[in-house]
Amino acid sequence: MAKVFTLEQRILKRNSELADENRRRFDSNGVYVVSLASSPGSGKTSLLEKSLAILRQELSVGVVEGDIQTDRDARRIEALGVPVVQVVTNGTCHLDAQMVHGALAHLDMASLELLFIENVGNLVCPASYDLGEHLRVVVASTTEGEDKPLKYPAMFRRSRAMVLNKIDLLPYVPYNLEEARTLALRVNPSLEIFETSCTTGAGIAVFCEWIVGKLGETSAA
Amino acid sequence: MHEASIVESLLDLVVQSAPGGSRVRRVEVRVGLLTGVSPESMQFYFELLREGTPCAEADLAVCLEPLRAHCNGCGADHSLGEALWICPACGAGALSFSNGDELHLSGMEVEHGEGIHAGAADTEAQQ
Repeated sequence: MAKVFTLEQRILKRNSELADENRRRFDSNGVYVVSLASSPGSGKTSLLEKSLAILRQELSVGVVEGDIQTDRDARRIEALGVPVVQVVTNGTCHLDAQMVHGALAHLDMASLELLFIENVGNLVCPASYDLGEHLRVVVASTTEGEDKPLKYPAMFRRSRAMVLNKIDLLPYVPYNLEEARTLALRVNPSLEIFETSCTTGAGIAVFCEWIVGKLGETSAA
Repeated sequence: MHEASIVESLLDLVVQSAPGGSRVRRVEVRVGLLTGVSPESMQFYFELLREGTPCAEADLAVCLEPLRAHCNGCGADHSLGEALWICPACGAGALSFSNGDELHLSGMEVEHGEGIHAGAADTEAQQ
């Protein structure tokens, strides 16, 4: 005899529970957590390097680096003297809450005020996984299409800010900044947009000021 | 390709929810059109990963629900089969959606089941 059951369960329920656990840990330690997502090569690690140079002057900052292979990004962050944990996913295309949970064991959470989590370079898969972060930032760049938000709406809808990086290349690439802003806001009308260049340093301070202004917001956001 | 991880989580959830010793015949999931999750890819990984689990002979049914959209400009309500960002009626207004983020196990059919695990019937709010 077959029995039919009607259910209503989130498939990623376990991940959400672990993300909530991470969030409680962040909150109890007074650590504000920002995750970065983008396609490969948009400049997440460069943005981190430039931002850390400013933010660490005032704040105690740590980093969790997610990559499919290598600890190259973690070594870049380590060179700045910032505590960093590399998560190598060995093929998995995204970080999940369990991986972040594991990484936290290697950080002195009580000493941190701000933690960045750099996700695997991928605009699709990381969108589905809550890590427990307070704020998600998506990075796009002028060497990509302006239509990234339309092609990967889940990521842009779930992010609070978009950093448009590599604006120093605007004279050399056929990138329409206005079009990019319009399409991003169409997908997510409340998206904050920052324009940066990690080569010239343009816009980095403004982005950092915004992050600092977010500190102290609770996870209810 | 994160459908592989999603299907792994799905199989875990089905095994937890199904009565001990039962064989699962059919698994039903509801996928919102704003999740970016591909039903075809879910099918592919389900057939690959179900081996050796109580779902080894189960079919996966993926239900893609129409998007319920409201135009903030002209006020029109729409039921959409794909994600649009501009109102198809007035051609200008931005749309807000009342669903689309679902990624839910919505039902299953099992054989030799005595009763379902108590926790399985919880109804959870959409994220």
